Amino acid sequence: MSINRRDFLKTTAGSAAVASTLSIFPEEVEAKTGELGYEGEVGKWVASTCQGCTSWCSIQGLVVDGKVIKVRGNPNSPSGGRICPRPHLALQQVYDPDRVKTPLKRTNPKKGRGIDPKFVPISWDEAINTIADKIMELINAGETHKFLLTRGRYTGLNEIMYGTFPKLIGSPNNISHSALCADAEEFGREQSEGYPAYADFDLQNTRYILGWSSDMVASNRQTPWFINQFGNVKDRAKITTIDPRLSATGAKSHRWLPIIPGTDGALAIAIAHVILAEGKWNKDFVGDFADKVNYFVVGQEVPTEIIVEDKKIPIVFNEIHTNGVVAWWNLELKDRTPEWAEPITGISAKEIREVAREFAEAGSRAISWTSPGSSMQIRGGISAFACHALNGLVGSVDSVGGILQQGSAPTAKTPDVKPYLDPRFAESLKKPKIDQRGTKGFPALEHMKSGQFVVTSRVAQAMLDQDPYDIKMAIGYWNNWVFSSMGTKHWEEAMAKLPFFAHITTNIAEMTMFADIVLPAKMHMLERYGFAKNKQNLTAYLSVHQPLIKPYGDAKTDETEVPFLIAQALAKKGFDLPLKYYQENFKDPETGKVPETAEEFDLFATKFFTKPCWDGSSNSKGDTINSWNELLDKGIWKSKRYKIGEKIGHFHTATHKFEFFSETLKAGMQNHADKHKMTLDEAIEAANYTVKGEAFFVPHYEPAVRYGDEKTYPFIFIDHRSRLNREGRSQNSPWYYSTKSVDPGDENEKDVTKINPLDGKKFGLKNGDKVRVSSMFGTIESEIKLWEGIRPGTVSKCYGQGHWAYGRVGSEIFGSKPRGGNNNDLYCYDWERLSGSNPRHGGHTRVKIEKI
Amino acid sequence: MAKKYGMIIDLHRCVGCGACDLACKSENNTPVGIDWASHKVETYGIFPKVTYTHTPTLCNHCEDAPCVRVCPTQAMHKTDEGFVVHDPSLCIGCKSCMLADPYGVIFFNKEHAFLDYATDDSSIIKGGTFSKKELSDKAKAPFPNFNAARGAGGYEAIRRKGAVEKCTFCNHRVAQGLAPACVVACPADARIFGDLNDEKSQIATTLKANKPTVLLPEKGTKPKVFYIRSYN
Repeated sequence: MSINRRDFLKTTAGSAAVASTLSIFPEEVEAKTGELGYEGEVGKWVASTCQGCTSWCSIQGLVVDGKVIKVRGNPNSPSGGRICPRPHLALQQVYDPDRVKTPLKRTNPKKGRGIDPKFVPISWDEAINTIADKIMELINAGETHKFLLTRGRYTGLNEIMYGTFPKLIGSPNNISHSALCADAEEFGREQSEGYPAYADFDLQNTRYILGWSSDMVASNRQTPWFINQFGNVKDRAKITTIDPRLSATGAKSHRWLPIIPGTDGALAIAIAHVILAEGKWNKDFVGDFADKVNYFVVGQEVPTEIIVEDKKIPIVFNEIHTNGVVAWWNLELKDRTPEWAEPITGISAKEIREVAREFAEAGSRAISWTSPGSSMQIRGGISAFACHALNGLVGSVDSVGGILQQGSAPTAKTPDVKPYLDPRFAESLKKPKIDQRGTKGFPALEHMKSGQFVVTSRVAQAMLDQDPYDIKMAIGYWNNWVFSSMGTKHWEEAMAKLPFFAHITTNIAEMTMFADIVLPAKMHMLERYGFAKNKQNLTAYLSVHQPLIKPYGDAKTDETEVPFLIAQALAKKGFDLPLKYYQENFKDPETGKVPETAEEFDLFATKFFTKPCWDGSSNSKGDTINSWNELLDKGIWKSKRYKIGEKIGHFHTATHKFEFFSETLKAGMQNHADKHKMTLDEAIEAANYTVKGEAFFVPHYEPAVRYGDEKTYPFIFIDHRSRLNREGRSQNSPWYYSTKSVDPGDENEKDVTKINPLDGKKFGLKNGDKVRVSSMFGTIESEIKLWEGIRPGTVSKCYGQGHWAYGRVGSEIFGSKPRGGNNNDLYCYDWERLSGSNPRHGGHTRVKIEKI
Repeated sequence: MAKKYGMIIDLHRCVGCGACDLACKSENNTPVGIDWASHKVETYGIFPKVTYTHTPTLCNHCEDAPCVRVCPTQAMHKTDEGFVVHDPSLCIGCKSCMLADPYGVIFFNKEHAFLDYATDDSSIIKGGTFSKKELSDKAKAPFPNFNAARGAGGYEAIRRKGAVEKCTFCNHRVAQGLAPACVVACPADARIFGDLNDEKSQIATTLKANKPTVLLPEKGTKPKVFYIRSYN
């Protein structure tokens, strides 16, 4: 009984039209199922986009009788239709019984952790009008800058709610979550390569991966593609994982370096030292000494000249695509031997040398892969710079088998808001943003300018200090900073004092508990229109979201429907510029129809922004798609394969070279220092870095910051992520808890604190002991797990659990008692100030553990 | 020649992500506490020389299945294509199969599965958030993402109180020419499923080219889930 797969394409219920426009699945998709089929179930597979992590994969859901039954990858995706466990969890997210189904109004004026808001259901009309009234109050008082928009996760349609809506109502305060994510990682890439973005990787040709807390089979970027390629990569390449705990990727790597948290920069610098001292740098990329002698001698600066037979011969390094390799040696690297790094990092000098040699041996096919773990630290902007700089030494930047940039799929430009800006808002729009970016202690540099990156978590303190001014009203969407940001107490205080807050959310999360109005949001993956642009496997793509189902409640799309409804209400109250902006600029690109309803606007705006991908104008640059419906069918537009090598010589740095001596960083710090009439050294100190002078501008060693004395707090606390975390949104799903042991060392149904058995013995702690973990700043309850995958003197607990709100699965008692513990309750309230980042890694907080 | 279905799990490719475990739950409507596809993890060694392994597990559809031998009602039976499957309507809940099974992959329903979705009408905010029962009523299904296709061939799409259940190698899918859900879901392409008796099949040729092992070979049940290569 041999069944032809093509037959199934024809007989799938209701798919006749789909079959004619869908790509025939590539061989590698069908290969996974062998002689059996991939297609042929009852129902329709409809494409959408998963945003459970930042891979932003194109997926499909099977729709049967108006319900989504299961998910799979989109066979048209650049990962050949592979997905990780996260999209499967989305089924329990979209059908979560604890989802908000109707707008809610707070009736208890008291706000605080554990306080019942006493929400009551209200109509959308009442909710929207309340919000519109508050906006009108600010307009009439000339205080529109006191409006704050907080954006968490987002789709391309954030151009509406985050990008333009605040301006249209006169506020400069659109604050994103970006600093909670991986801004310091991007920062490191910018100071060296001029590329403040996430990288792509030529996995099929690489010969070495040096992963700095990169856990690519579990999380961060292009996870399913990496999972798919992992077996092949391991056959061809050596994989070294540097991570304070034995991660999923570490467990499968050739080598695991259990680094002491916060010392990644020191290790990178020692590796750089070996590469230069042993003459192993890439001569074609970096260049060489004119006389081919290696003047990088341990302990010595490169001399400017030598005397040969009484003649002074200048020593010249002909540098090709890089800037400042000799300066780097002279200012920092000459004494940074593996022996120096050993006591700092906890990695033996012998092993450091081995790794440096292996890495350099693979040359331009050796990838130094920086991740949030090694960069989102208090002094992580510089360690990210150091880790990424290694790519410059071996010439793997934009090379075959190396680490790559990527373009992005074409989308339409956001229509200009300027003609729609009420002149009354001119003063307010010029006010500084509430996050204090660019102020003395927060350079937040990008493109060599101060004050460009968001300092998300600082907003809480700014609100409390009313510096630069007070905030009277806020709207937030797809975020939960009261839980997910460091400084949870500061956020609780700030949100309690905030006079009016509206939260657009699927669940009643911690942040929602401080809301005056709650608006139910459509669940992004399965209920709304939208799009996400990203890159995987040398392909830039645009993946579309579309509603597979109608929500059971009265939910609306946070980014489009809600601002449209507010605009309509404002127009009725006499302020119609936002509505005009929407109706005049977001007509249906296919019919020209003006959006009259929120749902039309959701659809038309998505069509508008994605038009270059579906109107045929980009067919020459990638996939052929000639209509909106074809984009919906295929789910994704993919670019042609990235052309390796074209960026070399054209990096967007100050010198257009790959910078070891970063003129880019220097220009940025100079800009910041000048603004505040400081010297460069004063600016460095204000940013909480210790190395002064020119040495600051090469990758250099900065000691880790640790809060708490070792005697009182004997353990360095290590945060890590989960392969099941849909950022913060899967913890009300039962499947999260029943599968949790897929994270190495963790246990199903538990939120364990992992400690080394030697420490267990020393401190009298056994498996299963209920404990209180405390820092200088807070305390959580947890359970002990003795585990060898963790260094003595450190403990590790996964981030994600510990919700006192969000839902009845995620909390022990909804609204008051958390299930597990929120790591952020323990953490210091501090920043990586060069990038404005939330430095959740690097062992910044020491803890003590007491049995309960 | 009659078909003999089996599976290979390539531990070199497997990264221990658990997508298979979750896809199985989606496909087979397993309730909380019952996981037909699961895994066992092991950490051994002493820091820093530590090894961590993850081994996906499921029913082995043994050629000489003890669960079949001991079942008093033949609810647990083997088909002539090598599937060891179960008919809940014949099950008396004696749990002999669970006692005989060395692999611990048979599960017992203490309650009707998803009973909470039929009865629990509590909500965080009355009128403001949902209840399980409300979602089930709106979905007109035992629970919203209920997979009706699991009920093909007369199998209970959700199982009754007192019945056992276990992995069926997705026999309902194979009957339609579809690969099992875990095979489709694996992003690492670590699972190969097919007819061991077909020399030309991917599973047969891969078995020949590797040194397969099985779990608990000493129990002598002749499992048909084979593991090749190594996790680390």
